[in-house]
Amino acid sequence: MLFRDAFKTATRSLTHGKMRSILTMLGIVIGIASVIVLMSIGQSAQNLILGKVQSIGSNLVIITPGAPSGRGFSPPAAAQGILITSLLQRDVDALRREPSVSAAAPLVSGQAEVVYGNNNKTVSYQGVTADMFSVRNLTVGKGNTFTKGDVDSANHVAVIGPDLANTLFGPALNPINKIIRVKNVSFRVVGVLSNGGTGAFGVDQGNMVLIPITIAQKQLLGISYLNTILVQGNPSYDIEFVKSRITFALRQDHGIIDPKKDDFNIQTQADVLSILGSITSILTLFLAAIASISLLVGGIGIMNIMLVAVTERTREIGLRKAVGATNNDILQQFLIESVLLTFVGGVVGIALGAAIVGLVYFVLTTFFSIGWVFAFPISAVVLGLAVSGISGIAFGIYPASKAAKKNPIDALRYE
Amino acid sequence: MIEIHSLKKEYLEEETPTQALRGVTFSIERGEFVSIMGPSGSGKSTLLHILSFLDRPTGGSYKFEGRSIDEMTDQELAHVRNKNMGFVFQSFNLLSRLSVHDNVEIPLLYSDTPPNKRRALVEEAVRSVGLEEKLHTEAGRLSGGQKQRVAIARALVTDPDVVFADEPTGNLDSQSGLQIMEILESLHEKGRTVVLVTHETQTAEFADRIIRMKDGMVESDKLITANRIHRSTLK
Repeated sequence: MLFRDAFKTATRSLTHGKMRSILTMLGIVIGIASVIVLMSIGQSAQNLILGKVQSIGSNLVIITPGAPSGRGFSPPAAAQGILITSLLQRDVDALRREPSVSAAAPLVSGQAEVVYGNNNKTVSYQGVTADMFSVRNLTVGKGNTFTKGDVDSANHVAVIGPDLANTLFGPALNPINKIIRVKNVSFRVVGVLSNGGTGAFGVDQGNMVLIPITIAQKQLLGISYLNTILVQGNPSYDIEFVKSRITFALRQDHGIIDPKKDDFNIQTQADVLSILGSITSILTLFLAAIASISLLVGGIGIMNIMLVAVTERTREIGLRKAVGATNNDILQQFLIESVLLTFVGGVVGIALGAAIVGLVYFVLTTFFSIGWVFAFPISAVVLGLAVSGISGIAFGIYPASKAAKKNPIDALRYE
Repeated sequence: MIEIHSLKKEYLEEETPTQALRGVTFSIERGEFVSIMGPSGSGKSTLLHILSFLDRPTGGSYKFEGRSIDEMTDQELAHVRNKNMGFVFQSFNLLSRLSVHDNVEIPLLYSDTPPNKRRALVEEAVRSVGLEEKLHTEAGRLSGGQKQRVAIARALVTDPDVVFADEPTGNLDSQSGLQIMEILESLHEKGRTVVLVTHETQTAEFADRIIRMKDGMVESDKLITANRIHRSTLK
């Protein structure tokens, strides 16, 4: 039998029982739509997260103290409560001498209560140099950043995040030149950052306090080492080359010969992206796996209805066999029917999924002002179509082979 | 064309073996019109099913056009059914929601007839049973006699060598039954082999040979050419 004829026969019997076909398809429609929606939401969340990381700039290198963790991601040594003192100001100076390095900005950080009048909030503060602002693309909305002079002379000045400014001063007061206390040390506010939200380093930028690193080290933390060095690679060099130059410079500075004994850890934006990317991909797949349970239920519905159809059409099968249909012809006819059911269901499911994703996008951006990115991955569409087609075969093969194996004479006699 | 020798068919009915055919031997030549008669349970339908390749014997031999059924696969049997045999059933076995055209076309779907030649073949077969007006009518809307004529058209559309008819008039009034038998007779006159199973003597006598069955064996096998001559003079 020609495929064309088998296809025509199948569509004819499906359109004959329209209501039944539609209800059967509904299971697949819902299954595919939920896979699409969850994959799309996962993809959007991934884009949102990766977008944040990308905003730190592709030529940024992050150096943290402690031994490299080898492959994969592990939290910095400091976050694990291990006190590592291997990064020092002279490392920064050494890096600044590298031609492949545009800027090297040291950073120390801690948590402290920030007080103004009766208002207070516990936030994280960062001791930085003036070039940190340019390295991290931080801009001030009000006032100014502090200067190299402020850092060198350890002036008591601070730049704070907009949310913190609002908490401490309210909307009415101008924070500039007000005196706040951080860990009981007085600082004069010289600037308020223009953008809030969670930054690329997982720090709540809206509630951040930036002070000169000299003060932070001496008066707030009482340390002389650094927590992090941010390096901006020279854009005319490849980032991997920059990374290798930094490694070389730091090893030389630390007198390390055996690479296994490195006491510093270098990550580029690409490293962070790939780690975050793989985490969010796993999450997306996990979501899709949950959604595919409904697909399974839909598939069983298809199998059930196909089994009913085979029984109902026993005499038809007998007749077709009597006039020359082979087992394969019958198998083909019923398989096409079930694949058609699931495939059309899949297409409708993809459309429904796209509509839901669009609605989610509309609601999130319009009513919640979330910078949600509309993501409708082609992979989800391809996967949806493939899965629906394959489930048609998987759930149709048993009823179809049952039909094909019928003995013509028994089938013709069936009442 | 058809040669059977000591043909046996045994069924298992509730675990007790039942012998439907206990050794049947005869042959049918090309162009014959044969009626197989007998009371119910005589094995006549079982015999027809085996002759028409819808079932296999459990003993003895059956050669169709010199080929033994034992040497053929199910697929080959299906191919022969499609190409060389036509079927007319007591209960018509039309697909009621399809049109007359689509019902008659079914055997062609399983043949190697190119799609562009099918329409003409279907129309010719439908014309030969006088239903060209009903070509696009749903089969379910036809009368019993018309349904059986569609079934005959379906049997003829592949231009088979032999037409098997299993109680073709069983569900019809006598007038429609007569029409059906006249069509079968005209097929025979055009040189086709027709094998008919019936329990009605009147119907059986359209044939020029009657094989009577009883208890799974041939009771008698008679040529009745005289009847035919008599009938044609009446006409």
